[in-house]
Amino acid sequence: MTLFKQIAIILSLFLIIILSTVLVLNFNSANQGVQKRLFEDAKNTASSLSLSLGSANGDISMMSTMINANFDSGNYQFISLTDIDGAVLFRRDGEVQELDVPQWFIKLLDIKAPIASANVSAGWSPIGLLNVQSDVSYAYSQLYSILKNLLISFALLALFGLATLNLLLHTILKPLKEVQRQAEAVARNEFIIQEKIPHTKEFKDVVLGMNTMVRKVKAMFDKGNEELKRQKELEYIDPTTKLRNRKYLIDKLPEYLKIDADSKGGINIMIAFSGVIEANEKIGHREVDKLFSNMATVFKQHSASFKNSIVARMNGTEFSVLLPDCSDEAALQIAQDIRDAVQTIIVELELDTDVTFISLGLYQYNYTQNIGQLLSLSDNALAQAKFSDTNIHLDHAENATEVMGKDAWRGIINKAIERSGFNFLSYKAVNAKTKKDAHNALSISMSVDGQTYYFGQFMAPANQAGLGTDIYRKVLDMIFTQPDMKLKSSTCSLRLPFDFLESPETYEQMSTLFRNHAKKLPFKLIIEMPDKLVSQNSENVKLYKHLLQEHNIELAIFEFIGESTDYQYLQDLHPTYIKAEKDYFLGQSEQGLGALKLITDALGIDLIATGVMDAQTLKELQAKDIHIIQGRATEML
Amino acid sequence: MIIRNLILVLLLLFSSVNASPYVDKKTLKRIAKKYKMFAKKRFYFLQVMLDGVKNGTDMQKLQAVNQFYNEVRYVPDIKVYGKKDYWATPYQFLGKDKGDCEDYVIAKYFALIYLGMSSKKLFFTYVHSTKFKAPHMVLTYFKTPRSEPLILDNNNRKIFPASKRKDLIPIYNFNGDSLYRASKTGAGTGKKLKKQQSHKKWDQLKANIRKRVI
Repeated sequence: MTLFKQIAIILSLFLIIILSTVLVLNFNSANQGVQKRLFEDAKNTASSLSLSLGSANGDISMMSTMINANFDSGNYQFISLTDIDGAVLFRRDGEVQELDVPQWFIKLLDIKAPIASANVSAGWSPIGLLNVQSDVSYAYSQLYSILKNLLISFALLALFGLATLNLLLHTILKPLKEVQRQAEAVARNEFIIQEKIPHTKEFKDVVLGMNTMVRKVKAMFDKGNEELKRQKELEYIDPTTKLRNRKYLIDKLPEYLKIDADSKGGINIMIAFSGVIEANEKIGHREVDKLFSNMATVFKQHSASFKNSIVARMNGTEFSVLLPDCSDEAALQIAQDIRDAVQTIIVELELDTDVTFISLGLYQYNYTQNIGQLLSLSDNALAQAKFSDTNIHLDHAENATEVMGKDAWRGIINKAIERSGFNFLSYKAVNAKTKKDAHNALSISMSVDGQTYYFGQFMAPANQAGLGTDIYRKVLDMIFTQPDMKLKSSTCSLRLPFDFLESPETYEQMSTLFRNHAKKLPFKLIIEMPDKLVSQNSENVKLYKHLLQEHNIELAIFEFIGESTDYQYLQDLHPTYIKAEKDYFLGQSEQGLGALKLITDALGIDLIATGVMDAQTLKELQAKDIHIIQGRATEML
Repeated sequence: MIIRNLILVLLLLFSSVNASPYVDKKTLKRIAKKYKMFAKKRFYFLQVMLDGVKNGTDMQKLQAVNQFYNEVRYVPDIKVYGKKDYWATPYQFLGKDKGDCEDYVIAKYFALIYLGMSSKKLFFTYVHSTKFKAPHMVLTYFKTPRSEPLILDNNNRKIFPASKRKDLIPIYNFNGDSLYRASKTGAGTGKKLKKQQSHKKWDQLKANIRKRVI
């Protein structure tokens, strides 16, 4: 229960008790007042009547008349006259009256009107005692009316009091709300500095303390961020040409060589510079470095029109230009243009073009190949190019024999989409240190007409047929509308690709799905988004983050290779975890990984290595303090 | 004979020493402090007087008490208490050694009650004095409820039967204690009646006596 509620309940109870006490006291006072009035009236009657009776000189009939006259003119329970021995000489009793008062009230109060007495004399001698008791019916009506009025006024007072109390508490505890907000943010590893320092000393101390703590954690994050940026430059950037290096290319290639890659293939141009020793001798190292920089500019210019192209310096004299979705013809044209442009630079430097030249080996790759194949086959093409007259050579990857044609796949996939023919498979991500499951990573299989197709089988043809986004749209819909109850109470992650997330309809679909179904989802869902998208920290990504947060769905990152120029997006978007290929972690220097861990620890973000297949790799990862893994090695845990 | 008288005196002395005094020591001390030595002496002589008639007849008691209190000076309430009408406690009356007609009646009444007289026999009687043409109050004593009362008056120092007091016209008899008894035994009375009797002045006086107002 919140402090506000506790204080509100206590104060409300206190207020109600006070008001009730005042009400009871008020009513008692009124009750006593009315009873006193009854007695006073009786006393006045007794006094005046006893004086009058004195004039009757002991004549009972006269005195009875006087008593009757008095009794009839007022409200009395009884009037009696007793002689000096206590014997009743005359008595008049009032009739029982119908009261307009509830029976419970009469029982509760049980008013007994006091009896007033006065001596009655005849001359010097006392002749008796006059007793008078007032009628209580009037008192009951009066008191019941008082009680009703009191209850109404106190109810109004209580309402007003409670409303004022609520307002006051809100005002007084407003700084506490801010403190609570900050504390919650700290618990979520978010850095909020409270600018408005409360005046209340206790709150002020807490806020100042938390601000100091938050500043320290923020400083830690900033330090990690700076360090990671510096490490990134050292690890991924060639200092001379400012191009990416071989490591970057190798870390980045898995994104291009996968079943659900955005591009199904393209051209990798491997470029070798010959005659560097002669060039060095003739124009010196510095000029040669300038030459390389100029060459880098040429490469970049010619690859700029290709989305997701990579230009990397592989070693001192070799470069690689990866052009996704590039045709043979276009690649050959680019290669010629590059060759000619570089030759012009060489000529301008008055170098011998027979000795100093570039060779361009073009290799047409596809997504099914692995990194080793791509690089070695690109090298082969380069070797061929070196012996070619034009210094350009193009090799093709062997095309896998497709069992089914494009149209057949399109038919099957469309059927699956129509019939919701997708099933969820889950693979565990496990914390090797605690031996506990971190979450279930969801994948899909497709069943159509009794035949089951695995993700690796159908996703590439689906992408080629332009149905990838449709499949994800269907899968996302199914996960919310037909959730797999086997996963109840677990945590599941769903990986969504870049293109799908970039589509504006996706956001709309997610909004509708979340709004209608997120609350009923039987498991906790984490949506994984590619680092390529998340690191843009764009408005689109922020919208996704806000949408997910609103529906208690977490955001995570996959395909992380730490290529961003700023890691502020990790702080802003605060993903639950970051998934990267095992090779990324294993290839990281101690400083680079240390800086990344400084950031993720400061933000409470887990690091997860994917594709961990054996115990040896797991051991190496654990040595680097990476404990959560995904892959075949989880089966050994 | 001498020995018998001595034993009787000793017995009387013993009994008076052991009986609780009319005014307790603490109140007496306060009276001495407030009204000085003479007042204390007055209360001493009062006690001596009361002790003297303690075992006497009603008539002896009436005579002694009436005579003792009629020595006090008559002064109207406005001059003593600054109020038009005030019923003084017996401590105030004898302490100040002055008071008006009600104060004599009150002092005599409580002294007689102390001496063991039944309150049923004593009444505060409002009278009209034809001599002074003014309202007045006397204490009336009824040997039996229906016998002729004796009048204890501060103006006429002797006790006379009512028939001999042509200068007084009786208006109203009042006995606080009988009212109290009546209200206590009266039918249908509430529990709060213990504190409420039927005469305001009487109620206040009883409260002042309980509080030992001096």
